[in-house]
Amino acid sequence: MSETAQRGGAIPPNSATPLVSLRDIRLTFGSHQALRGVDLDVMPGECLALLGDNAAGKSTLSKVISGTYIPDSGTITVQGEEVRFTGPNDARSRNIEMVFQDLALCDHIDVVGNLFLGRELNKGPFLDQKAMLARAQEMLEALEIRIPRLTARVEKLSGGQRQAIAIARAASFQPKVLIMDEPTSALAVAEVEAVLSLINRVKAKGVGVVLITHRLQDVFRVCDRAAIMYEGTKVAERMIADTNLEEIVNLITGGH
Amino acid sequence: MANYTERAKQSHAVEWLNDNAQVLSIALFFIACMGFFWALTDTFMTTGNLLNVVRQGAPVLIVAVAMTFVIMTAGIDLAVGSIVALINALAAILMANGFDWVTTSVMMLAAGAVVGLAQGWFISFQGIAAFIVTLAGMSILRGIALYITEGYSIPIKDQAGFFWLGRGTLAGIPVPAILAVLVAIIGFIIMRNTRYGRQVVAVGSNLEAARRVGMPARWIVCSVYMMSGIACAIAGLLIAARLGSGSSNAAVGFEMQVIAAVVLGGTSLMGGRGSILGTALGALTILIIGNGLILMHVSPFLTQIVTGVIILLAVWMNTRLFGAGFKLGKKG
Ligand SMILES: Nc1ncnc2c1ncn2[C@@H]1O[C@H](COP(=O)(O)OP(=O)(O)OP(=O)(O)O)[C@@H](O)[C@H]1O
Ligand SMILES: [Mg+2]
Repeated sequence: MSETAQRGGAIPPNSATPLVSLRDIRLTFGSHQALRGVDLDVMPGECLALLGDNAAGKSTLSKVISGTYIPDSGTITVQGEEVRFTGPNDARSRNIEMVFQDLALCDHIDVVGNLFLGRELNKGPFLDQKAMLARAQEMLEALEIRIPRLTARVEKLSGGQRQAIAIARAASFQPKVLIMDEPTSALAVAEVEAVLSLINRVKAKGVGVVLITHRLQDVFRVCDRAAIMYEGTKVAERMIADTNLEEIVNLITGGH
Repeated sequence: MANYTERAKQSHAVEWLNDNAQVLSIALFFIACMGFFWALTDTFMTTGNLLNVVRQGAPVLIVAVAMTFVIMTAGIDLAVGSIVALINALAAILMANGFDWVTTSVMMLAAGAVVGLAQGWFISFQGIAAFIVTLAGMSILRGIALYITEGYSIPIKDQAGFFWLGRGTLAGIPVPAILAVLVAIIGFIIMRNTRYGRQVVAVGSNLEAARRVGMPARWIVCSVYMMSGIACAIAGLLIAARLGSGSSNAAVGFEMQVIAAVVLGGTSLMGGRGSILGTALGALTILIIGNGLILMHVSPFLTQIVTGVIILLAVWMNTRLFGAGFKLGKKG
C-alpha cells in the first residue's frame, strides 16, 4: 500500500483550489499519537463531514485547522499558500472560524460579550457596548436564535442556547472556512434545522464547511463529502452522493 | 395546535437585583458596620475620624483595586505587603542619598512594575502557580527590604511636596484618599468599559477560550501582576509620605487586609467574577472594622481575631445567600 493510500488518499471533488489543504499532519500529546499523518482538503462551497469513533482525532484535527493546536509535522496550505500557524489568531485572521466541541464561552461574560469575544468594538478607548448589542441582536436574528436577554451572563443559559451562541459567534464574521465540532449535540429539533439551513446558506456563499457530528442523518442532508477517521488516521473518503448509511457506518466502526 | 404560552419575563428590577446581588450584600454589610460603630462609640462618626480612616486606608484601597484584577484572573498576589515595604524602604534610602522626591517616585513606580512583571513572568510564561511564586516573592522582597535597611527605620527629610502627598488635604479631603478614589474610579472604568478589562475577565473566566479567540492570554495574566506591583509602589510611597520615614517593617499583614477586602467585595477566587465597586466597599468595611474596634477600646490583640471572624462570616453568608448560580470549577 502506498503512503498516500495509507493516509486515506484524497479524491479531488472538483478542480478548484482547496480553501484549506492539510498534508501528512502528525501530532502527538506526550506519547499519545493523536494524529498519525492525515491529509484533508476543504473545498469552497462544500460541506465536508468529518466522521469517526470517539477519540478518533476529529476534534484534534479540526483544532489544527483553526490554529489551536500546532502540528508536530505536516503542511497546512490556505488558498494555495503554505502557512505556519503560530496560534488561533493566525487562523482567525485568515477567516477560519470554529465552533468548539466545548463551546469555548466565558461563563461570566454576557451574551453580547461572548459573541464579540476577541473582536470587541471600540469607541475611542472604551468598549462600544451599544453598537455591540445592536449588532448582536442582528446576528442572532439572522440565525433565528432566540435569547431573551442579551445582557445576561452566559452561565445562566441552557446548554442549547450556549451552543447557539457559539455557532453565531463563528458564523457571523464572514468566515471562509467554518469548522463545527458537534454543533448540534444539545440542540432541539427546530434549532438543528436552523443550523442545517445555515450550513446550506454559507455553502451557497462559497464557504467551506467542516462538520463533525455523530448524527449521520444530518450528514446525508447537508454534506457533499465525508472523511472518516480512525485512531488518528483518515481511513476513507467518500462522496455522499456515491455512498449510503450502511457503508459509512461500516467505515466508522472498522467493519466490526 | 395546542395553545402555547410564553414564560413570564423577569422584571428589570429583579434582573438588576440578581446581577448586583454581591455588591448589594457588601453594601448592606458596610452600612450595618457603620451603624454599629456609630451607635457604640461617640467618636466614630466624626469627620476627623472618618477622614483619618480614609487617609490611613488609602494604600489598602489602592492595592485592593489592583488585586481585584489579579483575583479576576483566578490568581493571587501574596507579595503585596512585601513589595510595599521594599518600595517604602527604597524610597527613603534614595531620598536620604540626595534624590528629589519626584525622581524617587518615578523610579519607585518603575521598580514596582519590574517586580510585578518578574512575578507575572514566572506565573504566566513559566506556568508556576501564582500562590507559590508570590509566596516566594513575599519572603524574598521583605528579605531584601530588611537587608538594605538592616532593620532600621530611615527618616525622610525636607521633602515638603512629598509629605503633602501623605499628609496634605485638598478641599479638606486627605490627598491619599483622593488618590485612592481616583485609582478606584480608573480601575472601575478599565474593568467595565475597556477591551483590556474584558480580556482580564475572559482570561479568568475561561483561559483556553480567551486564547482560542486570539487574546494574548499569557500577556494579560502577566500584566495584572505588573499592575499590582505599580499599585504597591503607589501605596509604599504614600505610606512613606505619611510617616515621613521608610522601613522594612511597613505594611505587615497588608496582604491579608487587601485580599480580605477583595473577597469581601464579592470577587470570586475562582476567577471571572468580581467588581471594583465591591472591592472598594470591602476595603472600607475592613478599615472601619479595624478603626471601630480600636475606638471601642477592644484589645488590639482581639482586633485581628474579630476581623478574621467577621470576614469568614461575611464570605460564608455571601456564598450561602447568593450561591444559587455558584459553580465550583469551570468548564475547559
Ligand atoms: N489536549 C490533549 N492532551 C492529551 N491528549 C489529548 C488531548 N486532546 C485529545 N487528546 C487525545 O487525542 C485523541 C483524539 O481526541 P479527539 O478529541 O480529537 O477525539 P474526537 O475524534 O474528537 O472524539 P469525540 O467524538 O469523542 O469528540 C484522544 O485519544 C484523546 O485522548
Ligand atoms: Mg471531539
